[in-house]
Amino acid sequence: MKETENIHNELGSILIQKDAIASIARQSTLQSYGVVGLAPKNLGENIRQMIVKDAKYGVEVAYDHDGLVIDLYIVVEYGTRIKSITSSIASSVKYNVEKTVGLPVRRINVHVRGLRISNMD
Amino acid sequence: MSAAELTKLSPAERHKLVSVPIDGHGLKTLLEAGMIWLKTNQQIVNSLNVFPVPDGDTGTNMVLTMQAAFDEVEKSGMDNVGKLSHAVARGALMGARGNSGVILSQIWRGFARALDDIPTMNVENLVEALVEAKETAYKGVVRPVEGTILTVITDIATQAEVSAQRTTSFTEVLADIVQAAEASVARTPELLPILKQAGVVDSGGKGLLCIFEGMWRFINGDPLDKPLTEVMPLSDMAMKNAMETIEPGQDYEVVIDFTPKSTFNLEDYYEELTKIGSSIQVGEGEGIYRMHIHVPQDNRYQPIDHTMTLGTIKKVMIENLVAQMQEKNNNKNPKLKLAKVQPGETAVVAVSPGPGLSRIFASLGVAAIVQGGQTMNPSIKEVLASFENLPTEKVIILPNNKNIIMAAKEAASMTVKNVAVIPTISVPQGLSAMFRLIPDADFDEIVSSMTEAVHDVETGEITTATRTVEVDNVQVEMGQVIALHNGKLISSAQSIEEACEALLIAADTNEYERITLFYGEDIELPRVNELSDKIRSIYPDHEVEVHEGGQPHYQLIIAIE
Repeated sequence: MKETENIHNELGSILIQKDAIASIARQSTLQSYGVVGLAPKNLGENIRQMIVKDAKYGVEVAYDHDGLVIDLYIVVEYGTRIKSITSSIASSVKYNVEKTVGLPVRRINVHVRGLRISNMD
Repeated sequence: MSAAELTKLSPAERHKLVSVPIDGHGLKTLLEAGMIWLKTNQQIVNSLNVFPVPDGDTGTNMVLTMQAAFDEVEKSGMDNVGKLSHAVARGALMGARGNSGVILSQIWRGFARALDDIPTMNVENLVEALVEAKETAYKGVVRPVEGTILTVITDIATQAEVSAQRTTSFTEVLADIVQAAEASVARTPELLPILKQAGVVDSGGKGLLCIFEGMWRFINGDPLDKPLTEVMPLSDMAMKNAMETIEPGQDYEVVIDFTPKSTFNLEDYYEELTKIGSSIQVGEGEGIYRMHIHVPQDNRYQPIDHTMTLGTIKKVMIENLVAQMQEKNNNKNPKLKLAKVQPGETAVVAVSPGPGLSRIFASLGVAAIVQGGQTMNPSIKEVLASFENLPTEKVIILPNNKNIIMAAKEAASMTVKNVAVIPTISVPQGLSAMFRLIPDADFDEIVSSMTEAVHDVETGEITTATRTVEVDNVQVEMGQVIALHNGKLISSAQSIEEACEALLIAADTNEYERITLFYGEDIELPRVNELSDKIRSIYPDHEVEVHEGGQPHYQLIIAIE
């Protein structure tokens, strides 16, 4: 899997690292209502995160031939409607990524990895 | 109960429902009033949409969430405020739609948790419930954005705490809350720049305000099923002045911009206006109200006299609709012949303030025109729409006004096309840039050549002062004619002729060869011709040309090159 995306223009190329796209997606996810955190994608990442802060933490960016595919691994506040929250996240991440980097976003998969319970009702 | 049934309750019955301690029946009635009023204002809340942020149907989402909450209450048949509010929270959670719906459901969840299962509620309980509602709402997000519904619930809770110090009356606390919520909503554009840019307040915050406002209106016996007015954001309004047909009694169009006194009551104002004329619209943005009305000839000054008693008038525009229609029918607007761009070529989009100028731009090879100028800035959406469908990737925008450059740049940032904005601050600069256009040349070369061309021309604008002011050491009285040179105020005068002379001197006209006058819709051609003859006599070596510009407000736009 390649690590950068190219946009060509007449002067040359613009290379966008996946990390850059991941940090935009991450930022936008964390600002979405209902999200209280991101979760590791796997055990390896969990350990890595303890050692060094990683922009891709909880976010996976891939590129297939016709657009970006973004996977988000999130923790949601207990007692909120997950269906509404996740669709809001998907649309705001799509909007922010497309607006900032200008590459089409084909799919956004939101994985709810856990719930945080601040208060039991 | 329906909206009508709620309003029909006698003052005594209403008073009984909302005097402390409030029981389940009272709370339920209040919630219903809040929901009905929100529904009544649903379209207004929907219209507060910051293009193109997702979730642009806030009003609808909040209504559906409240409806789900209320259905749950009816099903449960509770008469205990604690249990009843748990039913509200549960219903809201299940029915939460969109971002604002989810936040609203969290608010009710906190509200319910604080009330737990107490049978009746006093003011102290209400305060606790609102504070808990606020805290729960904030728990749902790691990076809260201020200037949203979250800010409004915070201000509501804070006000409730303060008010409870001085009174134990539910009605008094609610009155304070509604006032605080109103102020809070009005403040949202200051906290969130994107709202300010779009000229709107936050929609979720406004929705929450409607719920509390509905409760307050119920207590006062005000109707709940009729919106106060069709208030729309100012940015929507300016674009709607083109008329297709006119009906009897619509001889004149009067538009007034004013800042109301603090005692201003929109509903009364609206009602008074309906006695004067029709097609009433009232818009609001950043504290300024704009009123639009169509009136019969005899009533044409009445809206002004009436508005003057209610606030400070900033600006008045009166247009003779009958004459305007005739003119329109006479010249049957020959269709603009815009340039057809080929894929790979560079297309130019120009913002033009008047039909005459649009024709001139079109004849110079512009591919799309956006209507707009000094007092009618086009929205980002309109700019974007103008070039999205052009069959080329290379686009140049000429904003032709200082206030439109930002919108043009925003539009440029939102597209995948390769868009350059040439920062032309006036129509002459835009025209001057157009002379350098070579559609099939290299894009970057065209852009730099057109950008240079902006400095080839001196711009003059002649208009009427709308207020008394002193700028750049020039003292201006309202109603005087003023001259602007490259956007800078240089002179105020009693007549257009006098202002023109001062302008031509300031612009070092002797150093140039050609003077072109584009006359606006507020000045007659014979007068322009007289003026141009006079200019020819002062500058006999210059070429003086006159073209119809058709722009509003500016009697003349002058290019000196």
